[in-house]
Amino acid sequence: MGAINTTTTAQNLHSTKAAKIRFFSSLAAEDIEATNSQAVSKLDTKSGAINFIVLINGFVFENELMQKHFNEEYMESTKFPKSEFKGLITNLSAINFSKNGSYPAIVSGSLTIRGITQPVKATGSIIIADGKISVKSIFKIKVKDFGIAGSDIGKSIANELEITVTSLYD
Amino acid sequence: MKKKLLVAALTILITAVIGVWFFVFYKPTHFKRDVADEKGISISAPDLVKAFQENETAANTTYLDKSVEIKGEIVEAKPDQSGLTMLTLKSNDAMAGVLCTLKSADPTLKPGQTITVKGICTGFLSDVVLKEAIIVK
Repeated sequence: MGAINTTTTAQNLHSTKAAKIRFFSSLAAEDIEATNSQAVSKLDTKSGAINFIVLINGFVFENELMQKHFNEEYMESTKFPKSEFKGLITNLSAINFSKNGSYPAIVSGSLTIRGITQPVKATGSIIIADGKISVKSIFKIKVKDFGIAGSDIGKSIANELEITVTSLYD
Repeated sequence: MKKKLLVAALTILITAVIGVWFFVFYKPTHFKRDVADEKGISISAPDLVKAFQENETAANTTYLDKSVEIKGEIVEAKPDQSGLTMLTLKSNDAMAGVLCTLKSADPTLKPGQTITVKGICTGFLSDVVLKEAIIVK
């Protein structure tokens, strides 16, 4: 019985250790962007649960000084080394995981950054290609919602950050 | 004499200006950290995983954002979404390992090989994670 349960779980549970998370801050003065390509993500196609967990220190900036400020001043990455998203696909019935195609998806969940958890809603697409599942989403978060403060917020760093998630499941 | 002093003073001033510009403005923003230039903390893959499993906070203090040089056996090698090689090194726990994303793709690496890899430690998820890694041998 146990063995049968494990098999059914394995079929609807998909994971990757290489989801890509990029954030982007655009202001007239300066664009700031960083990418982390080592996020862990799990997707349960049966319940619609979708999770992401990422190491703050893994974000790579073009500008090394920005990366240092990001870790030390804004994110305090030694104190808060991880950020996590736990969500649920709310329009699960509209997605046919066994048929190739791109399906619009709505995800509702909670995002934890710097130990602060906030509700987040995101739209994106779930792409099915020959049994492989991938997820793409772009959404925005307000920097202040997560207690990220500093004189540069609103000046050289935008109040809203654009987050792009691309995840290809194993 | 006066002229010599003036030339000396000007030389010092120019050197100082260039120095300040280089170290304060240029270097911090243009310098790219490269693990190849750094002496990594040497540890085996099983020991590194064990350190994080036993006390993650303490291990973060020791290894986070540091160059780490790890010897281990490859259990999985595959490209990530950008085509860069991702290696998983074996530990004593089948559920955890060391996940390294290499700076450049290396399709010759295969499971079963024992290698030494150097990268920047970013912390611990289900595996200890290393970014911008290079193969030492």
